[in-house]
Amino acid sequence: MQKSFFRGLTEVFGRDRGAASGLTTRFHAFQAVLDGNNRALEAMTEMGEKLGGGYLFDVNYTRSAYATLFSAISGSLRHFNLLTGDRYPQLTEILARIDTLVQRMLSGAGTSSSRLVVFYPEITWDQAEEVGGKNYHLAELANTLHLPIPEAFAITTTAFTAFLRHNGLEARLAGLAGADGDALAGVRNAILAGGFPEDFSAALAAALEKLRDRLGRDAALAVRSSAEEEDGDFSFAGQFETVLNVPCTVEAVQEAYKEVVASLFQAGSTSYQRQLGYDPGKLKMAVGCVAMVEAKASGVIYTVASGRERDKMSISAAWGLGKAVVDGMTDADLYTVAKGETPRLFSRRIGAKEQMVVNLGRAGIVTVETPAAQRPLPCLGEAEVIELARQAQTIETYFKAPQDIEWAIDANNRCYLLQARALRVEEPAETGSDAQAQATTGYPVLLRDHGVVVQRGATAGKVFILRHLDELEKIPKGSILVARHDSPHFVQAIPILNAIITDIGVPTSHMASICREFSIPTVVNTGSATSVLRHGQAVTLQAGEGGEVVVYEGIVQGLLREERQTAAKLRELYEFRRQKYIMRYIAPLNLVNSLEQDFAPEKCKTVHDLIRFMHEKAVQALVASAEGQGRGFNRFFGAKTALHRLALPIPVQMLVIDLGGGWRGNTTGKATGFDEVASVPLRAVLAGMLAPGVWRNEGIALRGADLLSGMTRAADIPGGANMENVALASSEYVNMSLRFGYHFNLLDCYCSDTPRNNHIYFRFVGGAAAITNRSRRIQLMAQVLAEHGFALKAKGDLLVGRLSGLSRQEIEGILDQLGRLIGFTRQLDARLDSDEAVSILARRFLQGDYRPGP
Amino acid sequence: MAKHSIMVIDDEKIVGDMAKLSFEQDGYEVETFLNGESALERLKERRFEVVVTDLKMKGVDGLEVLRSIKKLYPGVKVIMITAFANLDVAIEALRDDVHDFFPKPVKIKELKASVKRALGEE
Repeated sequence: MQKSFFRGLTEVFGRDRGAASGLTTRFHAFQAVLDGNNRALEAMTEMGEKLGGGYLFDVNYTRSAYATLFSAISGSLRHFNLLTGDRYPQLTEILARIDTLVQRMLSGAGTSSSRLVVFYPEITWDQAEEVGGKNYHLAELANTLHLPIPEAFAITTTAFTAFLRHNGLEARLAGLAGADGDALAGVRNAILAGGFPEDFSAALAAALEKLRDRLGRDAALAVRSSAEEEDGDFSFAGQFETVLNVPCTVEAVQEAYKEVVASLFQAGSTSYQRQLGYDPGKLKMAVGCVAMVEAKASGVIYTVASGRERDKMSISAAWGLGKAVVDGMTDADLYTVAKGETPRLFSRRIGAKEQMVVNLGRAGIVTVETPAAQRPLPCLGEAEVIELARQAQTIETYFKAPQDIEWAIDANNRCYLLQARALRVEEPAETGSDAQAQATTGYPVLLRDHGVVVQRGATAGKVFILRHLDELEKIPKGSILVARHDSPHFVQAIPILNAIITDIGVPTSHMASICREFSIPTVVNTGSATSVLRHGQAVTLQAGEGGEVVVYEGIVQGLLREERQTAAKLRELYEFRRQKYIMRYIAPLNLVNSLEQDFAPEKCKTVHDLIRFMHEKAVQALVASAEGQGRGFNRFFGAKTALHRLALPIPVQMLVIDLGGGWRGNTTGKATGFDEVASVPLRAVLAGMLAPGVWRNEGIALRGADLLSGMTRAADIPGGANMENVALASSEYVNMSLRFGYHFNLLDCYCSDTPRNNHIYFRFVGGAAAITNRSRRIQLMAQVLAEHGFALKAKGDLLVGRLSGLSRQEIEGILDQLGRLIGFTRQLDARLDSDEAVSILARRFLQGDYRPGP
Repeated sequence: MAKHSIMVIDDEKIVGDMAKLSFEQDGYEVETFLNGESALERLKERRFEVVVTDLKMKGVDGLEVLRSIKKLYPGVKVIMITAFANLDVAIEALRDDVHDFFPKPVKIKELKASVKRALGEE
């Protein structure tokens, strides 16, 4: 690529040195930015693949792969600063912060911050470790998405360490690895009896005073855990203490703080921690102090109702505080909403809501009977449901994954979000096969189609009917736990359980979250499991995604699937997660739409963001430079310019920077058509894009509104301001950046009469549709490109293809196909609803059939 | 039928953990060790059908493990994995009858296929 680019330059400058000499340095820098970005992207893709679970790797690998990546991005940034005249100094600072974070993770060192208390609005993207997962995510909702959350501050992990040290607990914790119940109880007591370092108390006092100023003297707080990783890959749902209604005084908050921190060492919680590779004492805990919401109603949103209903979300709601819903103790209202540009109430089921949790101030938080008149009333009106759904969609789009969100509405009908974390959703399974019917013949059915499936799966074991929580320790390995209610306490038994079935419960409880995390087949709200099933009886549970539940008497071998998924188990490996977390500062792309306000240097949070930002601005800087050059010439010589605006009979505007021999005419300013293009490779790819049938103009309803509006906006902007589509072209070379909505295409090609000099580099990234469909589009493109002999690398929504050494005619033919593919796949992902569709469409495309339908 | 047994030796815990998880998924019995010394101790007590070992470890390294195993149990197949692949070492390992040799990161699928071949299952 290097070679070919410079050949392009030499051509221009050799022929017309005066015309372009002002651009030389910038072209060189621009080329180096692209080159560095390409290398960084490839290193990133490679790292993502190797750390993804399919490879055995060690820390040496992560170190060296990161070093390669860092060197590429640093080089790119150096040239970018040269190109833009150091216009974006923030990028250098952000890269340094990313590097510090990654180096610290590689060496296993903790946070180096000295802050003890941080108010939510001051929490920034690189402080997840310092404030813990739960604080971090909630703050992000307000700071980035501008959604309503209560006033709050975090007590950091640095404060946690200071507290432990002050009470001489550090060494004691280090020796807790194999600790028994007594040792844990000892630590809990020591924490509860502990004192506070002076600076801790002072920082807390200052924060509380600030809160009282804002909320009034009677304000009360919810003091809750925010451990490292909490609400990350694992929810820790219900694992730690939350103290509600805490007065805004130092003493009260300190007492609550100790209770929360002590809960790290509760038996149930330590078994969960062990399951995730944390020996007791290893996990650090930040704490959140969040203003209490006087909730009229509250509940939980799942932004994906189930694996089969990804286009719908479910909102459960109960009167009073959310505890009633998350503890699964009341029959809540359930609203189903069809997602989309305008969310629509799809169905609602009003629950009996016999009990509610209320805040009686001094008298505490109590569970009471719901007044009879209030029970049949819906907790939410349609407008409130839709508003919650809108907010939930915003959150899901931002985090790019299904979410589990807690919310509350106060007496003044103000809505607050209290928590957001990733929701595990499974791909739907095949059901109802003949083989299954055969396998179950002869086995009596004990229970059929009762209850709600929390986690699907087929499993067998002996029934253990739990009458009292004390019996948890007595459950034999491989049992199926059957209980009246669900409970977060069951977590301590999860490593040995094959399944959980309850009489009463909801799929939105803490226990439910944890069963999904560990892929334990679970059914709640069967109504009668404890009376129908006998203690000690051998049974087989089949819980289907569609909600089918069957319990057979005996062990139905034919139904039992393989063990839990490897992916689910891999996540439980601490070291594996730790290495993977490094990717958080590398791979996610937050800066998507360059036309939005958020497309700013200070919004970059990852290496990928830096690459994206630099690419965009590098192209702009180059165009501006060429434009200036053109104006200069116009002024002095009245005609020649290197910059041309290309008008095509398809909705694509493009700027062409002529590096020499890439453009025929002498037209200036006004838009000119395809015929003016002289560059061989640019002509070839444009010819493909313009081929009949390839470019479909009709929009796709769906969530494509974003995509379409992205395009319209781009087209509305006068040429000079819209830097999205730019081609640098000489007679035999082109480097073209194309953007459609959220898709970015990059083509770099040299196409001459000497085959060994010829190459095509093609990169595609992005997509606005759901991640599965995006990956399918990549698969489709990969299938087509592979047919043409490209060497390919694909990961998530990134595809890189290379090809070299072909004759001019062959390259032209492939570019024509590539042009067609770019046009064809532009809006396709919305339609790629199955893997079969990918193969069908790829085959058709190769036969010249561009119909988009299935 | 008894499960096939595999020993995995690597001084980084993550390698042993991931290998154990992957092999157990396929129904093998797996024991992992963080250094050559403890692995050789264990080998005095029992035989494993396949040994997967890191090459470069402090103390007893992969080549030493290989030689000791070949002395104790000539039939046991040894698969070597290493981040520092160099031809000389590979040749040396081949002389000592190593079954297979992989650079790290190693694709788990390929490692599993190699184990299958070692067990004569493929």
